[in-house]
Amino acid sequence: MSEKPDRAAARAAEARLIAPVSPQLQRAGALSVLAGLLWPVQAGGLAWAVSGWASGTEVMQRSLWAAAIFLVCVLLRALLEHRAGALLFRAADRVIGGERARILGREALSREARGSAAVAALCVQKLPMLQPWITRYRVAALKVLLLPLALLLLSGWVSWVVALILLVSGPLIPLFMALVGMAAEEASRRQLGEIASMNDMLMDRLSALQDIRLLGATERAAADFEQRAEGLRARTMAVLRIAFLSSTVLELFAAIGVAMVAVYVGFSLLGVLTFGTWGQPMTLSGGLFVLLLAPEFFQPLRDLAAAWHDRASGLAVAQELAEAETAERLSVLGEGTPATPLAGPLAVEIRSAVAALPGRLLALPDLTLKAGEAVALSGPSGAGKSTCLMALAGLVPLAEGEIRVCGRLLDGETADAWRARMAFLPQRPHFGDMTLEAYLGGPDADLETALDLAQAGRIVARLPEGLATRLGERGGGVSGGEARRLMIARAVASERELILADEPTADLDAETGARVIRALLDLRGAGRTLVVATHDPALIAALDRAVEVSA
Amino acid sequence: MKPMLKMMRQLLGAAPWAMTRGAALALVVLLMGAALLGLSGWFITATGIAGVAGMGIAFDVFRPSAGVRFLALGRTAARYGERVLTHDATLRALAALRVDLLRRQARAGARALAQLRSETALTRIIADVDALDGLVLRLLLPLLAGGCTIVLAALALWALVGGGVALMLPLLLLPGAALILLVLARRSLAPASEAEAALQRLRRGLIDMIRDREALILAGQIPERRAALAQVDGQARAAAARLDRADRGAGLALSLLHGIAVALAIVLAGALVAAGQAGAAAAAIAVFVTLALAEALLPLRRGVSEIGRMADAAGRVAPETPAEGAPDSPADPVPGAPAMVLTTPQQQLILQPGDAVALSGPSGSGKTTLLLQAAGLIPIPPERSVTFQGRSISQWREADFRKNVIMLPQRSALIAGSVRDNLTLAGPAEDPEIWSVLDAVDLAEEVRRRGGPDALLGEGGAGLSGGQARRLCLARALLKRPSVLLLDEPTEGLDSATAARVMAGVRAYLPQAALLVALHRGADSGLFQRRVTLG
Ligand SMILES: Nc1ncnc2c1ncn2[C@@H]1O[C@H](COP(=O)(O)OP(=O)(O)OP(=O)(O)O)[C@@H](O)[C@H]1O
Ligand SMILES: [Mg+2]
Repeated sequence: MSEKPDRAAARAAEARLIAPVSPQLQRAGALSVLAGLLWPVQAGGLAWAVSGWASGTEVMQRSLWAAAIFLVCVLLRALLEHRAGALLFRAADRVIGGERARILGREALSREARGSAAVAALCVQKLPMLQPWITRYRVAALKVLLLPLALLLLSGWVSWVVALILLVSGPLIPLFMALVGMAAEEASRRQLGEIASMNDMLMDRLSALQDIRLLGATERAAADFEQRAEGLRARTMAVLRIAFLSSTVLELFAAIGVAMVAVYVGFSLLGVLTFGTWGQPMTLSGGLFVLLLAPEFFQPLRDLAAAWHDRASGLAVAQELAEAETAERLSVLGEGTPATPLAGPLAVEIRSAVAALPGRLLALPDLTLKAGEAVALSGPSGAGKSTCLMALAGLVPLAEGEIRVCGRLLDGETADAWRARMAFLPQRPHFGDMTLEAYLGGPDADLETALDLAQAGRIVARLPEGLATRLGERGGGVSGGEARRLMIARAVASERELILADEPTADLDAETGARVIRALLDLRGAGRTLVVATHDPALIAALDRAVEVSA
Repeated sequence: MKPMLKMMRQLLGAAPWAMTRGAALALVVLLMGAALLGLSGWFITATGIAGVAGMGIAFDVFRPSAGVRFLALGRTAARYGERVLTHDATLRALAALRVDLLRRQARAGARALAQLRSETALTRIIADVDALDGLVLRLLLPLLAGGCTIVLAALALWALVGGGVALMLPLLLLPGAALILLVLARRSLAPASEAEAALQRLRRGLIDMIRDREALILAGQIPERRAALAQVDGQARAAAARLDRADRGAGLALSLLHGIAVALAIVLAGALVAAGQAGAAAAAIAVFVTLALAEALLPLRRGVSEIGRMADAAGRVAPETPAEGAPDSPADPVPGAPAMVLTTPQQQLILQPGDAVALSGPSGSGKTTLLLQAAGLIPIPPERSVTFQGRSISQWREADFRKNVIMLPQRSALIAGSVRDNLTLAGPAEDPEIWSVLDAVDLAEEVRRRGGPDALLGEGGAGLSGGQARRLCLARALLKRPSVLLLDEPTEGLDSATAARVMAGVRAYLPQAALLVALHRGADSGLFQRRVTLG
């Protein structure tokens, strides 16, 4: 079975998740056990009062005493449970908070195969599914160890037959529970998988919603999504059905056990059965007492069975966490932290480098670049121009060869400091969820000059909300060419010396394009260094030299 | 509150029959539970009395014990039925609601679609809908069933035992529970809605961080962004802790309330026995039934502490006024009419089948606007008109229109999945068709290199170069074989040699279609019979 190592990983995750909060769980469990031990006191009081009614002895007195005892025990019980609840909540909160922080740290830097929405679902939607497991399983396990035994002894004190009935029917429950647990874990895993795919699918469909509408594919997309939503319903229902069914069966076991106790007690009281009570006749108070204890004998067992389901879904989450931890990732050089810019005169050298794209190696052209130069990377679509720029920025790892920057090797140590000297214009406009002002560099930057230089002053002026506008992901709200110019303005405002620009004149008409080219040349004149990936002949001609990239 | 009622109606209305049966069973479960304990208590007490009196042999053991068995088994079965019915009905209604939300989102205008932030729409369709699952299951049903059970139990005790005990139940439990729940509702409203809001912000923020990762790394802003998200997580957890406190407080109060009811039942029933107004066995019924009401009382708090979260979600999800009605009767093409006619105050543009017209003009001159109007995605101002096959496009049903008129927007998006998934987004296609359309856009070689159309792409089509992604979008539009194809900068991001090959490929793939192409470069290519300049 290929599942074995996964399971081992899940157990390891279990240990990692639960162990740190184990003391709290233990304490909460102890409180819960104490609360459970109060029930025999309440039951005894009740049985004593009712038997008084039957025999007509001290009716009011016994009633008042029993009521008082009951009330005090209820209060104690509620307080104990309240306290245990607080401990449990804190324990679960700690585990979930810790896992969230781990996910955030990991996802900030490296990419894995799953989409952003699935990752977010794991972090926000699935992590809380650990809570029932953390809060219930350990406590239930502790209760099962102690409470049934205590109640068994108390019942046996009244009648060994009752104890025997409980002893025989009780262990059926954990047995059944273990059988069901495996199916439950599998069902939970499927449900989690479906949540991930539904999230990812929806995210993609929403991002492409305009295309979908224009392709007349709205109905088809809705039908596809309906299938997913329906799949999630079916999988969720499968998990619930197992849980409902098993709790029903356990309730049945318990009901049968209690009914057998009731029948035995009834016949004993009537004098039909005369064995099992240590030689004395069964009393009404004794009978009522064991009858009230019987359901509570089964309750911890049933709780454990329910918690077993919580554990199953918790383990499924733990397994997904373990998988995310070990998933293959495309990582970047450095940590993306702010750093003091790399020292030394600006220089770049690519030497027989080969970029390692997922599933593909791509040779990069050799390139030597000095401060103040303006170089074009040209070549047909798919040749590797963008990849070359990304490698220069430390966003794509190398399989062979090296890139040297300012005389040092570009690696994890130098990447952040190197990037602090560079501005990067990606080929695909993407705008984060922030205001235009934050995008362009914040309130401290000299935005006006930058916007003017990038021919973008009018664009911002035209927006009803100006710099406070939040654009769509791909720049919805401004035209394609306008988005491009805003990207240039951002690079200018960053005041970094090296500008890596991917297709800066795309989406522009010839005249605006010419103005953008002039702006780029002005930047070069002001001492900046340019590397531009482009297929625009006008732009190539305007720069110092062109390096041909060929696949 | 109003949207919540609306959503409640929608959830109930989706499967009224299942919900009714589920609700009835929920009541049956509680009633049988109360009856079970009451009968058991009576049975043991009565046998005890009969045994002492030496009348054991005459006592009818079988009917009561059969009753106990029936109630025990019946309750278990009813509980299973209730859970399955109500959960299934709710989950079905929620799945339908998700699809409906996606449809509603898709119907928005072009501007709204372009400015849509997917992560916002995503949280609405996923998280808000999830938040509503307790509306019926944990709020409405327990309240209804619990309230009815208390009243019915009181009526039964009135008949079996006597006034005092019977009156105590509704008079103590109903106002007591109402008070506790009201306090809980007030205390939990703010934290419940804050916790949910913060979690949604966390979800959106995390998606945004992942999708904007490269820009953040380049700007050295990763730690800053992580800290911001950690802060949001902190807010969510702080609110959840407050919610938990309120919730546990209400749990404590409800337990106490129930304890008081049981204690009072013992005293009142004892008084009846002492006064000789009730037998010991009947009095035992009162105590045991009150004991059983815990099951009706304690679950009430679960849904109430979620009200803040559910009300917010319902407000965002509840349907607004229905969108403007599209024509129901299909429009017929006018025979002999041109494929498309675009009329502006300056000019009239007539597109015949097989025509290819280049649309040029400086950035911002309105090329995209004109194309979007022609595609019927934004309203057409009164001074302009667009007809398709002789009929104004407002007369066409959306489905019929989109079968014939396809537009490739300037910024298109791909989806995760295979190349084939992307191409068949709009409809199924066989392999030969897929290869021929890939050939037309000069992508066949690249796809072959990757091992065929089942090669996988990342989120948003990641893994293709800019120009390759553009061509795949174009191929997706071509595959629909429209009679009018509106292209907004189809060859942007391509070198001129590839661009020329692609445009020729488009023409060859759809020889009969009318092409209207907005482009900055290459408008003078021999492919276009006419060239229209805007602005
Ligand atoms: N993440 C990736 N995984 C796998 N292959 C990739 C990835 N990114 C790019 N490629 C492939 O690497 C090659 C070079 O891509 P790149 O984006 O560098 O091309 P480009 O020269 O910029 O092209 P264009 O002019 O179309 O933008 C292409 O064949 C592309 O399909
Ligand atoms: Mg590129």
